[in-house]
Amino acid sequence: MIATRAYWILPNRGQKDDILASDGKTTLPLRRILDPKLRPEGFSHGVPAELLEKCGPKDAGEILFAQKFPDWDGGKQLFSVSTTAGLDASGRVVHLGLLFLLEPNERPRFELPYAGLSEEDRSFASALIRRMASPGPGDSWVQSVRDLVELPPSRGPATNVELRRSTVPFYSLYALGPAGLVSKASSRSKSRVSALILLLFVASLSVWAFMRACERPSRPAVQTGVVICHLN
Amino acid sequence: MLDMALTTFRIFLLLTSFPETSKHVTRFVKGAVEWWSGKKIAVIGPTASGKDSFLARLQNREIPRVHSNSAMGEKVKSFPVKMALSDRRAIDITCKGVVNIGGETDYRDDPSGWLSVCQDADVVFYMMTVSDLSRKRFLKGRRIRQDLDWLLTAMPHLKEGALVHVLINKIDQKIESHTDYRPLAEELAKERSALDKTVKSVLHPYEARYTGATLISMKNKQIYTRGINIAFRAVYSAFHGTAPRKKAR
Repeated sequence: MIATRAYWILPNRGQKDDILASDGKTTLPLRRILDPKLRPEGFSHGVPAELLEKCGPKDAGEILFAQKFPDWDGGKQLFSVSTTAGLDASGRVVHLGLLFLLEPNERPRFELPYAGLSEEDRSFASALIRRMASPGPGDSWVQSVRDLVELPPSRGPATNVELRRSTVPFYSLYALGPAGLVSKASSRSKSRVSALILLLFVASLSVWAFMRACERPSRPAVQTGVVICHLN
Repeated sequence: MLDMALTTFRIFLLLTSFPETSKHVTRFVKGAVEWWSGKKIAVIGPTASGKDSFLARLQNREIPRVHSNSAMGEKVKSFPVKMALSDRRAIDITCKGVVNIGGETDYRDDPSGWLSVCQDADVVFYMMTVSDLSRKRFLKGRRIRQDLDWLLTAMPHLKEGALVHVLINKIDQKIESHTDYRPLAEELAKERSALDKTVKSVLHPYEARYTGATLISMKNKQIYTRGINIAFRAVYSAFHGTAPRKKAR
């Protein structure tokens, strides 16, 4: 049994060689918490470039990217949620994340202290905690993270939003489209309704075509009759 | 216009002032184009060394507006690369199965990180910056040296005969901060020679797989074009044994 452990994955603003983490008070290299050799394949320490490109610079700050690895390192769970956290020295987008090492079936609690972080990181950390605790109306990103928390472990490694460029496959609950984040379940039911309407339309068209076809044999008879008449 | 011409001349002066560079230019072999076709390349290096920008340059696009510290390995769609090696001959290849990955040591030591990217590569480009060179980060215990040590442990797992070439990025920053280029060229030649010595000694007994180091700038298109030409020719020349090298074990 391990006690729940939660850490901040800090933004690499100084372009350091190691990714740093913090328990809210002490800063240490992430590799001391999560050995690179034990990192689950496809683990991300921030928001994937794919999502940043899809959202564009204007909405990049809204993104929450979450991952769940239910059967990690001997039955434990690994859960993370990341957001963008400003820029580094070369103007690249950097990330702030929350990492949870959990017991099986345990849920992450978004209440990690952040007093020990740098002033710049603190503002992003408090915004993330606040957002997770009391999301604004219609914050679909927070909803997607909450839905991922509730996802049964039997689904395997999962993300809140679908990734097309990941090197490993993930089960995902939401997809990012031009209109924003859309639940795949609702889009699946929408596409089912569309398919049903299309099917009904095709069926009615077929019935109509069949009835027209049934009417046709009388015409050649008339024509034949005409020919017969003509011959007469 | 005059400024631009002058800058180009200075860049040319700087890049060609290294004896090995001009040697590689004259040693250009016609078969380089055929040799490079179908080759797989891997690009590794510390964070912010310019891997993403190199990818953008290979794709013949400007450095992206939305640019991020890579958070995970992400697949990149196949793309064509066209690169003129002489007036009449050009490399025309397709880059397939590209994976973009981070440069922090966490990615280097992750089994699904750098090693998985390098495993099938014919040529591994190790990217560092010119400030890594001047700050001697290739000395024992420092980041570049640690990466070279990692490369040595990775060598037995790489493709047989895989070559290693070092790209020293961000030379434009050095050029901008200097007015007298001759001493800069001499200083860089000295530092690069120290780097060469270190790489060869760290990679022993695979030192023959090291094809040299090339100064480059991903930001400046003129320097990039010239630098990447030199690098591609150097790798090809080394492969054909025109450059002095010993047989690797």
